[in-house]
Amino acid sequence: MKLSEQWLREFVNPRATAGELAERLTLAGIEISSVTDALPAIDKVVVGEVLKVARHPQAGKLSICDVRISAGKQLQIVCGAPNVRTGMKVAVVLHGGRLPDGTEVHVSQLRGVESQGMLCSARELGIADDHSGLVELPVDSAVGKPLVQVLGGADKVLEVEITPNRGDCLSVLGIARELGTLFDLDLNLPQCAPVKPTIKDTLPVNLAAPEACPVFAGRIIRGLRTDAVTPLWMRERLRRAGLRCVHPVVDVTQYVMLELGQPMHAYDLKQLSGGIVVRMARAGESLQLLDGNTHTLEPDMLVIADSKRPLGVGGIMGGTASSVQVDTRDIYLEAAFFPPQTISSRERKLGVQTDAAYRFARGVDPTGQTRALERATRLLLDFANGEPGPVNRVAGRKNAAAKLVLRQLKLRQLLGIRVPEREVGRILSRLGFRTRKRAHTWEVRAPSYRFDIEREEDLVEEVGRVFGYDRIPAIAYPSTQRMLPLPEQQLPLARLRDILTGRGYQEVITYSFVDGPLQQRLTGGPGIALANPITTDMTEMRCSLWPGLIQTLRYNLNRQQKRMRIFECGMSFIPQHDEITQENILSGLITGSQYPAQWGLPQRVADLADLRGDVEALLVASGAAERLEASAAPHPALHPGQSAKLYLNGVDLGWMGALHPILLREMTLDQPVLLFELRLEPLLHGRLPKLAPISPFPSLSRDLAVVVDERVPAATILGLVREAVAPQPIEVYIFDIYHGPGIDSGRKSVALSLILQDSSRTLTDEAADATVKHVVRQLQDKLGATIRD
Amino acid sequence: MLELDQLIQEAHVRAAASESLAALDEVRVHYLGKKGVLTEQLKALGSLPAMERPAAGQHVNRAKQAITELLDAHRHELEQRALAKQLASDAVDVTLPGRGQDPGGLHPVTRILERVQALFTSLGFRVEEGPEIEDEFHNFDALNFKPAHPARAEMDTFYLKDRPLLLRTHTSPVQIRALLKHGAPLRVIAPGRTFRHDYDVTHTPMFHQVEGLLVDAGVSMAHLRGTLTDFLQRFFEKDDLKLRFRPSYFPFVEPGAEVDISCIFCNGTGCRVCKQTGWLEVLGCGLVHPSVLETCRVDTRRYSGWAFGVGIERLGMLRYGINDIRMNYENDLRFLRQFR
Ligand SMILES: [Zn+2]
Repeated sequence: MKLSEQWLREFVNPRATAGELAERLTLAGIEISSVTDALPAIDKVVVGEVLKVARHPQAGKLSICDVRISAGKQLQIVCGAPNVRTGMKVAVVLHGGRLPDGTEVHVSQLRGVESQGMLCSARELGIADDHSGLVELPVDSAVGKPLVQVLGGADKVLEVEITPNRGDCLSVLGIARELGTLFDLDLNLPQCAPVKPTIKDTLPVNLAAPEACPVFAGRIIRGLRTDAVTPLWMRERLRRAGLRCVHPVVDVTQYVMLELGQPMHAYDLKQLSGGIVVRMARAGESLQLLDGNTHTLEPDMLVIADSKRPLGVGGIMGGTASSVQVDTRDIYLEAAFFPPQTISSRERKLGVQTDAAYRFARGVDPTGQTRALERATRLLLDFANGEPGPVNRVAGRKNAAAKLVLRQLKLRQLLGIRVPEREVGRILSRLGFRTRKRAHTWEVRAPSYRFDIEREEDLVEEVGRVFGYDRIPAIAYPSTQRMLPLPEQQLPLARLRDILTGRGYQEVITYSFVDGPLQQRLTGGPGIALANPITTDMTEMRCSLWPGLIQTLRYNLNRQQKRMRIFECGMSFIPQHDEITQENILSGLITGSQYPAQWGLPQRVADLADLRGDVEALLVASGAAERLEASAAPHPALHPGQSAKLYLNGVDLGWMGALHPILLREMTLDQPVLLFELRLEPLLHGRLPKLAPISPFPSLSRDLAVVVDERVPAATILGLVREAVAPQPIEVYIFDIYHGPGIDSGRKSVALSLILQDSSRTLTDEAADATVKHVVRQLQDKLGATIRD
Repeated sequence: MLELDQLIQEAHVRAAASESLAALDEVRVHYLGKKGVLTEQLKALGSLPAMERPAAGQHVNRAKQAITELLDAHRHELEQRALAKQLASDAVDVTLPGRGQDPGGLHPVTRILERVQALFTSLGFRVEEGPEIEDEFHNFDALNFKPAHPARAEMDTFYLKDRPLLLRTHTSPVQIRALLKHGAPLRVIAPGRTFRHDYDVTHTPMFHQVEGLLVDAGVSMAHLRGTLTDFLQRFFEKDDLKLRFRPSYFPFVEPGAEVDISCIFCNGTGCRVCKQTGWLEVLGCGLVHPSVLETCRVDTRRYSGWAFGVGIERLGMLRYGINDIRMNYENDLRFLRQFR
């Protein structure tokens, strides 16, 4: 909301600059986000009177005007505006003057005629958008007076950000009340005395929905001048508040809304038939509103109707058919109260946003309707004449303000400081609370315009914010006496992150919502859809982190980053019937060469075993690396020959594999992409290490190459070797896999290195050989292996 | 005699001419070997008259010793030379870059989150997490957002299709879950992702918050100010950092405040970043609204509490200069690698 400082000072005028007012208000919770000049820099612009208008001999569209700019001084000015005429009061830029857009005005020749200044439109002066002709100043403007003064003098505009609980501050009156409290000053309220009716006409009002509209007030005004023009000072104030002038009657209702916070509406009286009915809409009713659209009304919407049809939606927007027109002479002015709860959902349903609804949704004073009507009538009659009828106010039951008790003890306890009792009383009564002091407590009733005061804590805040939060000291709350538990068998996530970053992975964070079609391509099923996605490629909650990682891959490939090792840890959302499983997962992607380009290390493209090495490294911290099982299984995103489901201790852990070649092609990726995705929970099971005795006996190593069917998994061979040697300890690793000359096709040679040890004595060569022999026999029997020499 | 001196002289010359240990050994064999010149001379002593034998023997032995010494000396020199040569040939260019994997790094948001967590865990706060898909109860109702209140509409909430659920708009629902689970007294922080329907330089539809909550006996605004002062001074590593509490409104706190810090770029004198105000807005906070405590079955006669919520991207902006917060989620490696 924008507000003129001048207007505010009419209500309350502290000895402080605009900047100081802004700071005090901000520190009391009324945030002033900016303070700017109300008028553009217009210097050397004065009021002039057009004395004579003559046609320019060389240019049909230009006029040569004689303009009086002071008692004895006249200028000749060439002007192209169509509305220039004798007797008109205009804004004259004198020689040496400058327009807000920087244009300098000098005496010049225009098509051979001297022009000694310039006559301006509102847009040229930077005070309105109108550029259709010269700005017409009031006829009583004194010739020679600087334009700035005609416009109301220099002024600042305060931009106010009001939190949704403070509807009472959405007006000059409301902000003035805050300032009065902060500076301990009384308010000068504007003239709102009843305007004496000069006619008897009234409209009957039927409050058929008193819950949705507890107070409705209105009055007829007849015989308004149709040629009335909104006074310049009022137009200026509206402009400074960011509003456009529309129609004298509407301008007045807007003015009163800004000043007192009460939205109003004016009807063209001749369009109304019978009386006013305030009722809920009927099914099937529709209405063209002032936004130009015809809206279908729903039965939970409140309408202001006459005896025949709805006229407008209560508290939100009026209808076109009954709105005031250029030739409207007789009007019906409305000021009503609509409770906040009912407004915002209707506003949303209608898809409109109005200043009135904004205020009603945040709370308008339910006692302010008559005052607003009187104020508006007074302002209107002052320049548009008219005959007012009596105010007809109809109200349902009034809710008395609840009595609250504020305890001195509670106040001190919550704020952490003692506020002097006199100060408490002063603050509350300046804010409009009725208070009664008891011993150590106050009985308090909130004013009608406060909708945010429900309990003692709310009063504590009121006192605290005016007294000043900055007077509250900083005190450390005593720390707990006990340390936090530190379960050693629960690994911190940071440990896993460190393992991955140590292995060259860069952490990324991608959006939790992803492109639906991409996700379905990658996971085979639909994810959880958003009702209101922010873009068309963020439509579903992710059920895998792969879509995000692949998007990241593509983003970076497009920026010449061909080698990538990235990981992300975050939540996935998996639909399961009516439930949603929200689980943290850890996923990674590698592509390009396994190592960065460097001297002395041949470039090699990363493959699945590289990826698996990283997965195993993650399990080292939990001591479970040996219990990782990978079994070939199909996955919609993965190459069918390079895809494995992972298990840890027999429980699902996740997947790893190479992105399917078809997907690579679809995404125009020309290098293999390897992915893993692991449930986080099993990875975080740490272990409590227990020292095992270290054998003092030397170990012996034996190498052996076995030839087996190509399809025999390495895991089976390693498992058999361990099983054959058990319970003796053994370390076994594969040091080569060979296909080619010397090996039948369909078979492979697997070279194993065995490190044997006896836990109770020195292992002899003979015993080691016997063990190897036993291993070989097992491999022969169970896998049909042959030994390669 | 002359003969032996000549012999030593000659051995000296031959040894010096030997370029290798093998050549030097040939010289040794020539003089001292089984059939060497000196060995022959010793054998020849027997043919001398007995009177002359001792003196002659002495001479020969002296010559033998002299030659042995000069050979040893030269051997030593050859060995030194060989070592020097080997060392010279072993030398590498120590300025060559190292070999192996290039370590990655953490996302800046993770860095900040971990920093905030570390500070609060040092004060005895435990870390709690909550679901990112939430219900109206935890995200709004229990936090004292009244139905149809503009505060609710201002949250720009994402809703799920066909389910009465939403994406949490703040980490505050974790307050509710933690209080219902653990009861009072309690001190927790809740880091995590949050979502609002908004996208520009300072808003991404997903962002991160850390929620802090302390519920205990006699907790006041002064305690809130105490902990936040401590936190922000430590976080920015500025012991003279000043805090300013501005009254504000969040439905789940009363009294509520927004906290500004003295501008870390100009020390409060006014600059472009703080728009000449000397202050930077960093977080929202307040005393936990009694209706929130009541919903969580906390005895409000005994306990009160404070809560705050801080935007991680905002801290990243101030700490690392990430002024366009959308960069956080573009995941450009050239951006990310700067935070390793
Ligand atoms: Zn600054």
